Amino acid sequence: MVLTSVGFAIVWARQVERLEPASLAVGAVFLGLFGLVHLFRRLVVPHADPYLLPITALLSSLGILMIYRIDPRLARLQTIWLVVGLAFFVFVLAVFRRYRRLADYKYLIGLGGIALLVLTMVAGREVYGARLWIRLGPVGFQPPEFAKLFLVVFFAAYLDDVRELLTVSTRRFLGIALPPLRYLAPLLTLWGLGLLLMIFLKDLGTSLLFFCTLLALMYVATGRLLYVVVGLSLFAGGAVVLYHLFPHVQLRVDIWLDPWQDPLGRGYQVVQSLFAFAGGGLFGRGLGAGYLLSASGNTIIPALETDFIFSAIGEELGLVGAVAIILLYLVFVQRGLRIAVRARDDFTRLLATGLTAAFGLQAFLILGGVTKLIPLTGITLPFMSYGGSSIVANFGLLALLLLASDGAAREEEI
Amino acid sequence: MQRQVRHLWWLFVIMFAALVGQLTYLQVWAAPGLRTHANNTRAVEQEMRVERGLVVSSDGVLLAANRREGAYYFREYPEAALVSPWLGYSSLRYGRAGVERAYNLELAGESDLLTVRNYLDIIMDRPRRGADLLLTLDSRLQRVAVQALGDRTGAVVALDPKTGAVLALTSSPRYDPGRLDDTWDDLIADESRPLVDRALTGRYPPGSVFKLVVAAAALEEGAVEPGTMFDDDGPWLAGGFRVRNYADHVYGEHDFAQAMTKSVNTTFAKVAVGLGADTLARYSTAFGMSEELPWRLGGGTGRFPDPDAMDTAHVAQAGFGQGEVLVTPLEMALITAGIANGGRIMAPYVVAEVRDYRQTVLERTEPRVWRTPISAATAATLRDMMVAVVKEGTGTAAALPGVSVAGKTGTAEVGEGSPHAWFVAFAPAEDPQIVVAVVIENGGTGGSVAAPVARAVLEAGLR
Repeated sequence: MVLTSVGFAIVWARQVERLEPASLAVGAVFLGLFGLVHLFRRLVVPHADPYLLPITALLSSLGILMIYRIDPRLARLQTIWLVVGLAFFVFVLAVFRRYRRLADYKYLIGLGGIALLVLTMVAGREVYGARLWIRLGPVGFQPPEFAKLFLVVFFAAYLDDVRELLTVSTRRFLGIALPPLRYLAPLLTLWGLGLLLMIFLKDLGTSLLFFCTLLALMYVATGRLLYVVVGLSLFAGGAVVLYHLFPHVQLRVDIWLDPWQDPLGRGYQVVQSLFAFAGGGLFGRGLGAGYLLSASGNTIIPALETDFIFSAIGEELGLVGAVAIILLYLVFVQRGLRIAVRARDDFTRLLATGLTAAFGLQAFLILGGVTKLIPLTGITLPFMSYGGSSIVANFGLLALLLLASDGAAREEEI
Repeated sequence: MQRQVRHLWWLFVIMFAALVGQLTYLQVWAAPGLRTHANNTRAVEQEMRVERGLVVSSDGVLLAANRREGAYYFREYPEAALVSPWLGYSSLRYGRAGVERAYNLELAGESDLLTVRNYLDIIMDRPRRGADLLLTLDSRLQRVAVQALGDRTGAVVALDPKTGAVLALTSSPRYDPGRLDDTWDDLIADESRPLVDRALTGRYPPGSVFKLVVAAAALEEGAVEPGTMFDDDGPWLAGGFRVRNYADHVYGEHDFAQAMTKSVNTTFAKVAVGLGADTLARYSTAFGMSEELPWRLGGGTGRFPDPDAMDTAHVAQAGFGQGEVLVTPLEMALITAGIANGGRIMAPYVVAEVRDYRQTVLERTEPRVWRTPISAATAATLRDMMVAVVKEGTGTAAALPGVSVAGKTGTAEVGEGSPHAWFVAFAPAEDPQIVVAVVIENGGTGGSVAAPVARAVLEAGLR
């Protein structure tokens, strides 16, 4: 297992070297870094899933490679962020080895997550029409990426506490069995928060992600599809109202329904993304051979290095490369859910489920958005998109997942 | 709870399978349509990375080449005056026109002709290159035509009547296709419309050169013979319209051949009215007017009015090429070529060969008959009448020493300003090597303004 995982890292680090001879050192640094982190992982959580870290190494190396191809300056920054992310990963592994203790502080953590979101609402700056950024000195920072972690831990711990109560119905309303309202209250609060997020952050992606992750957790915890149905209809109801109240929501949906009605204006980004995929065809135009940059050096597709990085991959690596990336994300999800299946205690199970679902849903939302499968919601592709907050937060997610994995495996041994 | 996690897993499998499905649709199924979508500049961008094929005249002069800037190739035209406007342009911003447009697949290296060559290049890791075009156009003759026309608005077309090969093709005003991106706004705003290729798309009233078509119809139908006598006693009333001769000449008794030599309007009006609108329309079509030209370069088609809508006055005017008859310079050259070639109009062509960059010939244009409007006998009769026009009639300015030239003048009245000057000719009359059609907008009389231009081209073409 160790050998395969290191091998993965080597192969992909080599790939980076071969394709970018000028940055031979970058490949070596990646290899060394992931090697070191891998050894550390072996020491701290020896029983954790051996595939997750190599997949992450592969995704983030490919991401940096793609960013390098778009803008070498951004790639250098992203490399720094990757190092910060790995440091954060090591930090989380080292500090939260007894991760079950997190459950004891669930309300603190939940409040922390909400505080991060409120902070964004109050102090956030609008970029691309969504208010996701706050500035910490010289560094831009996207709190929702971290709030994602906080809220998943909170949901997992809270649902672990109340799941049995939620499955017992005490009263009936309109013929539907309902659990005690006070146990539902925090969840309803979060539903409201999701809508508030949409209103104040103007960010469909993040709110959709939070909400769907919560629904997945509810379903896994209670086994009742009713929650999912009710949750989805509530969200749909909210979404319909928002559609009529907020022009930017309307715009997103209209573009999705028919980007061709204004291919040079509102539909430009999606249309150009579709052109990029079509240009890539089956095998792609080859790294560096795609039509990503205009003569002035700007990217043809706005936000190519962040939200639309997958379009660049689709154009340069073709269907073959793009499907390979999708499969990598699916394998990540499979390993994550495997941890959940194997876990002996409910908190570990719910934590692994929540983290994996958040990860998988985030990937799906943006991959579906750039391919026009679903309406586009501005959100990063985990580990591949350019962006410090995204990569650091996702390394935090990975660390927690590995801790849960190690915890699950240890119990198995006993 | 394990069960629910498994359900979640299958949900993810379905979601990601949908992603793969959508990607396959985009990158394989819908890809061809998206690649050629009107808003997709990627196709043009990709073509700009390919070294475009060269365009070379029949005597080996380079007419279109490439200049490389970074990853892109830009078009250069070393002989801008010779190639504008028929060769067109190829611009990342403004697209293409003319030969650059009609032969874009070959020039860009996308043609099926290049399939094998392109595969070899991929295997050998060589960059793809477009195919070269060897034209029928002779740069020497082209230069003479350009200089003879000068800055006057109009067009000159020269053909080989036996093959249909275009030997010279020019129209004025011109533009520099190599500087198109810098001058586009001015060219679009220019009222003289330099971007328009008048030789192919300029529709002019033909005036008396159309008498060739009327005479061909009358002779072929047996309505007249060269010796048929007519009497001209001044303006002739046709359906209320007063048919007058040029400068109000009165010619008295004369035969049909002399009517051609002197370009007698009254006589041709009488012949036209005698033939009727239907017959004139039929022969106009037979000569190729208002028909799609059998080549990729396109070009506007002239028109003969709807015969059902013509009254006697209209038919009489059509007899000397006025009224609503319209014709392009190239069409007029093809009509003349039909007479020169014994009644058979050869399909025109400007590209003799398509070659890959290793000079392997991928496609060679074979001459073929396009239309046969009249018999060889009628063509010979017309030829003799046209020889007389240059020898002793209105077209003496086109005469060449030692060579018998056949020609016909045209002076087409227009609403305002001087008439358009026309001249069509071929030489030598007994074994035609070259056909020329000249039109000069608002130039004056065909015999004094257009005939000398035709003479210069004929002389150069026979040298």
